[in-house]
Amino acid sequence: MRLLRPALLALAGWLAGIAVAHAADPLNVYTIWPENYARPMFQEFEKQTAIKVNFLRFSSGEALARVIAEKNNPRIDVLFGGPVETFAAGIKEGIFEAYKSPSFAKLPARFKQVDGQWTAIADDPLVFMTNAAFLKTNNLQPPASWGDLLNPAYKNSLQMADARTSGTAVTRIFSVLEVYERNEDKAFDYLKKLRQNVQVYTKSGGGGTLPVGLGQAGGGIFFIVDALETKAKGYDVVISFPKEGIGSSAEAIALIKGAKNPESAKKLIDFATSAAMQSKFSEYKVNFVPASPDVKTDPALAEVLKGAKIFPIDDEYAGANRKRIIERWVKEVLPAQ
Amino acid sequence: MARTQSASWRRVAADPALLGAIAAVWILLLLFVLFPMAHLLERAFVDDGGFTLEPLLSSITDTSHQAAFVNSLILATAVGVLGTALGFLFALTAVRGGLGRHWLTALDAAALLPLVSPPFTTSISIIFSFGPRGFITHDLLGLTNVSAYGFWSTALAETLTYFPIAYLTLRPILAAIDPNLEEMAFSLGGSRWRIFRTVTLPLAVPGFANAFLLLFAASLADFATPLILAGNSFPVLPTQAYLQITGLFDFKGGAVLSLILLLPAAAVFLLQRHWVGKRVYVTVTGKVGQRSRTRAIAPWASVVLVAACFAVAAIIVYFYALLAIASLVVAFGANNGFTWHHYHVIFTEGLPAIRDTLIIAAIGMPLGGFYGVLVGYLIARRDFPGRRAMELVAMVNYALPGTIVGIAYLIAFNDPPLALSGGALIIIACYVFRYSPTGIRATVAQLQQIDRSIEEASSSLGAGSGETFRRVTLPLIAPAFFAGLGVVFIRSMTAISATIFLVSISWTLITVRILENMTEMALGPAAAFSVFVIVVVFVVVAGLSAVLARLRAPTAGATARSFLGG
Repeated sequence: MRLLRPALLALAGWLAGIAVAHAADPLNVYTIWPENYARPMFQEFEKQTAIKVNFLRFSSGEALARVIAEKNNPRIDVLFGGPVETFAAGIKEGIFEAYKSPSFAKLPARFKQVDGQWTAIADDPLVFMTNAAFLKTNNLQPPASWGDLLNPAYKNSLQMADARTSGTAVTRIFSVLEVYERNEDKAFDYLKKLRQNVQVYTKSGGGGTLPVGLGQAGGGIFFIVDALETKAKGYDVVISFPKEGIGSSAEAIALIKGAKNPESAKKLIDFATSAAMQSKFSEYKVNFVPASPDVKTDPALAEVLKGAKIFPIDDEYAGANRKRIIERWVKEVLPAQ
Repeated sequence: MARTQSASWRRVAADPALLGAIAAVWILLLLFVLFPMAHLLERAFVDDGGFTLEPLLSSITDTSHQAAFVNSLILATAVGVLGTALGFLFALTAVRGGLGRHWLTALDAAALLPLVSPPFTTSISIIFSFGPRGFITHDLLGLTNVSAYGFWSTALAETLTYFPIAYLTLRPILAAIDPNLEEMAFSLGGSRWRIFRTVTLPLAVPGFANAFLLLFAASLADFATPLILAGNSFPVLPTQAYLQITGLFDFKGGAVLSLILLLPAAAVFLLQRHWVGKRVYVTVTGKVGQRSRTRAIAPWASVVLVAACFAVAAIIVYFYALLAIASLVVAFGANNGFTWHHYHVIFTEGLPAIRDTLIIAAIGMPLGGFYGVLVGYLIARRDFPGRRAMELVAMVNYALPGTIVGIAYLIAFNDPPLALSGGALIIIACYVFRYSPTGIRATVAQLQQIDRSIEEASSSLGAGSGETFRRVTLPLIAPAFFAGLGVVFIRSMTAISATIFLVSISWTLITVRILENMTEMALGPAAAFSVFVIVVVFVVVAGLSAVLARLRAPTAGATARSFLGG
């Protein structure tokens, strides 16, 4: 006991020191982009502006739930990355502050919210990703249409994200809606058939990539950035596109209402929405398609995308119908076995 | 009735130490249990300033929620029964199996592995092992059309994850049963089976009930395992509540769903009180005679017990070997070349998480240990108004799914006057009040075996309640104290469901990094982090055991030394 007291005092002193050190941090960010994509971008920002970025990664649902819960006493300045439909949901909760960066005017309409509540920093198309060995043993060609995924050979073999948590899943469902020209009954008919081949719906968009890479699952529908990362890790997977077309979701950034460091936050938004950051995508092998018209897509990525039919998800239509469509998906598709 | 009430008030008032302790515990419970709960209830039942039952009614009548409710009960019961049985098997083997010290340590180490690692690590190993290309189902057995998802894999993962709690609960109780009792029955001509049935088993009843309750509640609240393993055909409530909140941003629906979960948790708790509360299980009387070596278990039965335990231990070791391999290869399953790179990553980029987690666990551990023993002692030994209420309230944060505790804390402590979110204190408080109930239950179970006359002797010799507690009761319940301490530390290193909402830019946790790494395709760092957590927890737990052995607590001597697996 006699020994314990000085030890505890020392510990308390150390903790107090750390608490003070923590309090002096300049810019606080939640990133929805995985750490290995976000970290190099923040490091570039620190290099260029000498503003230190403290960040924490959450999947889109979690990040949004936290920002909403912290609304009266915001802990962060910027929400970074993540599909626009997450940001559209945030606007309804009144958690963002409008801000138009210098690049704002240059961006096409689908890459920005009219009032500047969010601005796009990248574009991320969906792809079909299949396990090469699985295709071979089942004598299959890489799926080239949405109908191919209904092949009974895929029975119980596909993994894709759960619409309740994942922006990837929402983009996927709206892709199917577009393919069926927004005829909801037809689209849901397809989704229910697809359900028969789905082994499990994962919490996060990239959750199925590793099982597909390992052959635990035959294939799935993922964002291209995650699919190419799987391939880069050395897993033998095949990327293909449906001939009917597949959706692409803009990735966004937004200023938090009541941010404690609004000036630094705006600098980060200026950086992320411009060529300053997006020209670094190819250097760090982050396979997003740049949103800024000033930046060229990485040649290797462009090669993968060549000939693919990709259409943007209309964020106004998606935002207006998102909740209803997800609820219908939960009620009709999930239990349809 | 009124007279006894006022008598107990008077007794409390006359004892300042007792009064102070009760007041302190209530203030803490008020702040860290009832206050966040009130916020949660407000979310669930107040809409636009008015009271409404609509969300509750629509939730109850939803058929998928009903299915999830039933599934949760089935799963929790299965895990409770299987885990208690497995825990009893290990405890019986450890106490009566006649194993040498080193074998016992090895068995303890294997049994504790699942407890000292983040829950979903078992899930990941199960997916690797039992899926359509699983190492066991495909490579070993040649099966191709197997699903790793559903009830059985979830129940298996949760049983393996939580049975050490049953083991830790049952072992000191079995160890405290005086072998002389069995010996006496033996010399009176009882058969071994009859003695086991009529002497050993009944004396272990408080332990069974406690173990079942703890496992049932743990399974009921676990969201990480079902999230990964249950698949879509076996939805359970905590996962649904989590998805409701994080996916649909529906705090109200999530709050309502988790309140529904409280019903079975409270029911089991009350049942356990009713069943165990009224009987007497005193075996430590202060009058222990010469201890005799037990013959209660036949030699062949010992062999069966030991073999069964080591079979289970082998499965556990296999699961964790997979994890260790994943942390040491470039890309698991694709490039099996050896690398230290993942460890380099966690000690550079992951260093803040490691530092924060260790600080938080180091502070939470002693606080949780003392709090658990104090509350357990008050509940089991003291008679004061509101005792049962205290017992119930102290269990609330444990019984609730972590997601809800986390959200409740986040909402309650985000605004002044108690703006704790973003700091370390909120995470520490969450751990202490969520994981001390294990220490509380262990203390209660231990005290139920210790005759009150020992404490009464101290009181009649003139010692106050504080002194009696410190010098008589505390040494007697040292094993429970260290169990509480250990569990709070272990959970501080491994739990995620509540604290995933409480981590902040300034304070983050290893477990949250692991889950993020897994969703980011970074299996290597996730595995390396897990191995690191396991190593740290083992070292600390071994240290605790060493301290306990040096204390030489009078009744706990033999029990204590290997209690926490060291």
